Amino acid sequence: MTAREVLALMKQNLGSPWNESTYRDVFHAGNPDIEVKGIATTFMATLDLIQRAHAAGLNMVISHETTYWNDRDDTNGLTADAVYQFKTDYCLKNGMVVLRLHDHAHSHQPDFIMAGLVRALGWTASEGPGPRVYSFPKTTLGVMAADLKKRMGARAFRVVGDPKATVSMASVAMGYGMGRFSPGVDLIVGGEQPEADTALDLSSYVLDAAFFGMNKSQIILGHNISEEQGMEDAAIWLRTFVKEVPVQFVRSGEPYWSPGNG
Amino acid sequence: MQLNRRQFASTAGVALFAAGSSVPQNTTLTVTLAMDRIRQNIGVTWKESTIDGVKAGDGNASVSGVAVTAVATMDTLARAVREKTNLIVSLEPVYYSHNDGPAALNPQTAGGRGGGGGRGAGGIAPDDPVFLAKKDFIAKNGLAVIRLSDHWRARTPDPFALGLAQTMTWTKYRAGSDTRYDIPGITIAALADDLANKLNVRAGIRVVGDPQAQVSRIGVLPGVSALVASVKLLPECDVIVAGETREWESVEYAQDAVAAGQKKGLIMLGRVVSEEPGMNLCAGWLKTLLPEVSVRWFPSGDSYWRPA
Repeated sequence: MTAREVLALMKQNLGSPWNESTYRDVFHAGNPDIEVKGIATTFMATLDLIQRAHAAGLNMVISHETTYWNDRDDTNGLTADAVYQFKTDYCLKNGMVVLRLHDHAHSHQPDFIMAGLVRALGWTASEGPGPRVYSFPKTTLGVMAADLKKRMGARAFRVVGDPKATVSMASVAMGYGMGRFSPGVDLIVGGEQPEADTALDLSSYVLDAAFFGMNKSQIILGHNISEEQGMEDAAIWLRTFVKEVPVQFVRSGEPYWSPGNG
Repeated sequence: MQLNRRQFASTAGVALFAAGSSVPQNTTLTVTLAMDRIRQNIGVTWKESTIDGVKAGDGNASVSGVAVTAVATMDTLARAVREKTNLIVSLEPVYYSHNDGPAALNPQTAGGRGGGGGRGAGGIAPDDPVFLAKKDFIAKNGLAVIRLSDHWRARTPDPFALGLAQTMTWTKYRAGSDTRYDIPGITIAALADDLANKLNVRAGIRVVGDPQAQVSRIGVLPGVSALVASVKLLPECDVIVAGETREWESVEYAQDAVAAGQKKGLIMLGRVVSEEPGMNLCAGWLKTLLPEVSVRWFPSGDSYWRPA
C-alpha cells in the first residue's frame, strides 16, 4: 500500500465529502508513491518527530500541522535554508512521507481534535448549555488551573486572572484563537492566542475584568497541548480501515520549557 | 521604579530646564497639544491612515502628567489616577482590538496583524460590561489615552530592539545591527533566567532548545514577528529572543534547527513584555517634548502566572 492509497482510503472513510480544494490536507514532504510500512499520527511533523517515527519503522507521518513552518507549507524563500534542506533530504533519504490532516480532522464528525481535547481535560461528561461549553461545580481559578496543568502535562502553561476568581462554566477553544466570553462563561481554555493588537485582546480583557471583580479567567494551554490529543482519535479511526500496517499515535510534544518549571 | 513626590517634582523640574526654548512654556498643555507635538516631532512622516491618535478622553483637558506604557490596562490606569497623572500614552489598544473601539467598520480588516486570532469580527461588543466599566472609569477620572504605535515602531534605530538591548545591558556587544548582539558565552537556561529577571517576567517566558547549550550570538525580534524574520536571523545567530511568534511557524523552525544538530534556541518573552523597554525609551523621548509635566514609564507587567 502506498501513501497515496492511504489517502484515498481516508477520503472514502471520512463519512462526509473530502474537500479536494484543500491546500492543507495534501502531501508536504517525501514521495507519496512510497510503500507504507507504518503510520505515525501526530500534532506536528517536526524533524524530531520524523526522526523518531523513522526509528520506530513508521515511514508515513500524518500530521495535523505544518511541515515547513507556515500554514500553506509554502517553500518559496526557504529552499536555500540549511534547516529546510536537512529536513527535506532526511525525508527523501529515509523514505519518509508526510501528509497533513488538518481540515478533515476538524470536519470529521465528531471533530477528532475537539474530542481529544475535551477527553484530556476530563470534561467529556460536563457538557454545558452551549456548543463547546462545559459546566462543573463551582471552584476557583487557582484550583482549576493546578488541576488542568497536571492533567495536560504542560510545562509552559499560562493563566490570566485572579486565582481566587470563581469558575463554573468554561468554553473550550483549540489551536489558534480563543474566541470571546459568551453569557455565563467565566473561563476560556484554549491553545494559542495572539497578544494585544488583534481582533480581541483576550488577556488584557481578562486582566481588566479581574480589576472590576467580574470573574473572567483565561487558561492558555499551548497549541500543541490543545490539539495533540485528538491525533490519537485520528489514529483509532485510521486503524478501522488500514489493516495492513501498524498505525501509532506519536506525540511531537510540547515545544517549550519555562525557567523554573522544567 | 516608584518615585516619591519630591523625586517626582525634581525629575520634572530637570526635564523642564533641559528642554530649552524649543517648546513654549507658558501655554497650558492640553491632550490635543501633546498629540500635536508628538506628530510634529516623531521624526517619521505621519501616515494618512493610522491607528495612532487620541483614543479616549477629552482633547481639551489639561495634562497633569503623562504615563507611558505598553498596554493601558486597568491596573495602569488606576495607578495613573493614584499618582495624579491623567494622560496615558499606550503602544497597544486601550479597548482590546486593533480599531480600539466597539464598532468594527470593516470586519474583514478590523483584526489587524493578528486578524483571525480572536475568531470573528474584530472589536469588543458595544454593550460589553468590561468595556463599559473601563470607559466609565476613564471618563469619571478625567483620563485621556493616546495610542502611539505605527509611528513609534517606524523610528530608526528600532526603539524596541534598542530598549531590549539596553535593559539587558547588551548595547556594548552590538554586532553590526540593532537586532544582533555578541555577548559572553552563556547557557540558554542562564540566558532565560537573566531575561526573566531583568524584564520582570512571571510565567510568560517560553523557551525552545537545550537548556545547557552554550550561546553567545543573540538576535532580538521584539513584538510580533513572522517566519521570514526568524529564517533570516537564526542562521546568523545562536538564539533568537523574540516577543511573540506562532507555534507552527518560528517555533517549529527553531525546533527543527535543534533537531538538525544546530546548537540553537528561541526564547519567547511575550509580545507585551518584549515591548516594554521600547516604551521606557518612549517615555525618555516624551520627557523632552512635554517639559511642562512629569512623564514616566509605567510597565504593564507580565499578564501570566502558572500554578506550581
